[in-house]
Amino acid sequence: MSNHEQVEKILRQVRSEPPNMLKTLLALQEQIGYVPVDAIPDIAHSLRTTTTQIAGVLSYYPDLRVTAAGRHVIRVCMGESCYANGCGRLLRVLQDSLRTDVGETTSGGKFTLDTMSCAGNCAVSPTVLIDQDLYGRVLPSQVETMLERYR
Amino acid sequence: MSSATRLYLSNDTSARAAGAGLLADAWAERPEVQLIRLSSRGAFFLEPMVERDSPEGRVAWFNVQPDDLSSILAGVGGTPVRSIPFLANQTRFTFANFGETEPLALDEYQARGGLKGLEEAFRLTPDGIIEELRVSQLRGRGGAAFPVWNKWKVAQQTKASEKYVVANADEGDAGTYCDRMILEGDPFRLLEGMLICARAIGASRGYVYCRQEYPAAAAMLRAAIRKADEAELLDIDGEPFPIEVVEGAGSYVCGEETALLESLEGKRGVVRARPPYPAQAGLYGQPTIVSNVLTFATISQILSRGGTWHASLGTEQSRGTIALQLGGRVKHPGLVEVPFGLSLRQVLDQFGGGMAPGSRFKAVQVGGPLGSLFPSTGLDLPICYDAFAKAGAVLGHGGIVVYDHETDMVDLARHFMAFTADESCGKCTPCRIGSVRGREILERIQAGGGTVDDLALLGDLGETMKLASLCALGGRAPYPVLTAIEHFPAEFRSKLRA
Repeated sequence: MSNHEQVEKILRQVRSEPPNMLKTLLALQEQIGYVPVDAIPDIAHSLRTTTTQIAGVLSYYPDLRVTAAGRHVIRVCMGESCYANGCGRLLRVLQDSLRTDVGETTSGGKFTLDTMSCAGNCAVSPTVLIDQDLYGRVLPSQVETMLERYR
Repeated sequence: MSSATRLYLSNDTSARAAGAGLLADAWAERPEVQLIRLSSRGAFFLEPMVERDSPEGRVAWFNVQPDDLSSILAGVGGTPVRSIPFLANQTRFTFANFGETEPLALDEYQARGGLKGLEEAFRLTPDGIIEELRVSQLRGRGGAAFPVWNKWKVAQQTKASEKYVVANADEGDAGTYCDRMILEGDPFRLLEGMLICARAIGASRGYVYCRQEYPAAAAMLRAAIRKADEAELLDIDGEPFPIEVVEGAGSYVCGEETALLESLEGKRGVVRARPPYPAQAGLYGQPTIVSNVLTFATISQILSRGGTWHASLGTEQSRGTIALQLGGRVKHPGLVEVPFGLSLRQVLDQFGGGMAPGSRFKAVQVGGPLGSLFPSTGLDLPICYDAFAKAGAVLGHGGIVVYDHETDMVDLARHFMAFTADESCGKCTPCRIGSVRGREILERIQAGGGTVDDLALLGDLGETMKLASLCALGGRAPYPVLTAIEHFPAEFRSKLRA
């Protein structure tokens, strides 16, 4: 199925009254993995709004992506409890180990490294989220073992 | 299997992150174990915690490893739950069920007093419900601390074809997790509060705006809504009251009520100018009550126990209990529900257990990333709205994060301003531009290129942001930065260029 047809199909599935831009973009991302920028005109047409409005929402929300993420997404929590418990060190160890920077994907597309502002896991911080798996009280020395499960 | 021993293990996200999931996996095939997954008691420093029944009540094992199963089954070395000081010294009302019940067991919820508030709400008139709230002196628990009855009265009296009840589950303040615990651990308590609100203001539809970072919470709440619907609870005076969970997409400012409403409508989460307030014109321009999860969770007991009961707890301007969430370098991080009025020092000593091993106290931050910092000399402040307001601080959503001697206060201040610069919605100039300039100045100081004028500039910038920002993000962002400079001036000066 071409990208255009796939987008059209999803747009038909999530049509609502009143139209909801954020829900639509999240649904597209859920099924495609990201929101293709070239689909913006189709999305705008389907929601009876302008391409500017869609692009505005797309660029506003940190969780909406316009490119595919790596196979595994690693997010290091940067909240205050994690900060107090050394998330900075943890992030540096991950950057070194994966040889990639925040917001980037490793060559080969295996891991995307990112940060998050709070996982609500403050009582067992510092926190690393890999896909849907939340790890608490993570020590820099445990990073390699943790990554091994996804390599 | 009848010979199996019932063991209780939390299914809370933080308990799982601490290793509860590993235990469940390791013991899944053991016929001698019947594992019951509960909410967490909130004593997270003890998680994963495993409990079993005894004639004297539950007995617990702390920080359990899979190999500890034999001693648990033999009953060796457990501690009675009621003799854990962290829990025994709390006054639990909103969090009374935590660690006791299965989150989706509606019968257990009801057996422990659940739905009594809703029954009472149906006996009362809408005015009667609001009067009970007025007597209770409940103030919103999300951070703004506005009198709840007042907001409900406005929404009730505003004429409209549709009215909405919106639970704000966008718990974005770093250092807070009590809403997540409620959503995951006692979801019917939230739904009951929303239903009572709907009955009082005449609303026809409810939404829970849940942050994307809480997938387990959203899933639990959806399951609870299905159960409540099957039990025909989502019905007010013969009219359906559907409740929908809507997930956000990672924007902090969407926890601000008007940005939340924009986001719920599917738009950019940009703050609206107030007035009109959401209680007058909120979602799709209709009267809308937006309240924090904890606020709704407090409502049911105010109705079942009475407003005067609630007003009998706490201090003059701060009635009831507060859910404090301890984090950072404290020895015992976890959830603490106590009446308002204890000092910060009492909370940190009695519940926090002092500092984590190897750490010395440097500062404590109350109220999330926009909250003020307190040095050791500021710890006698009583935890209540008025004392904090007088000190130029906020309680926010009750997050308490302790920083130790290794913390670089200049870098911490930079971290705060960078957070605001990232999260500013861009609507008002003081926040949009001010936060970026503030971050640049702090980066300059951190890199050794700052001057004494830069400190003065941060002061000016901070005052402008405080006075002229449209919402609390810009208005509060200067507080942690300016209190860091105020209490740790030597650290800032030592990094300045001569």
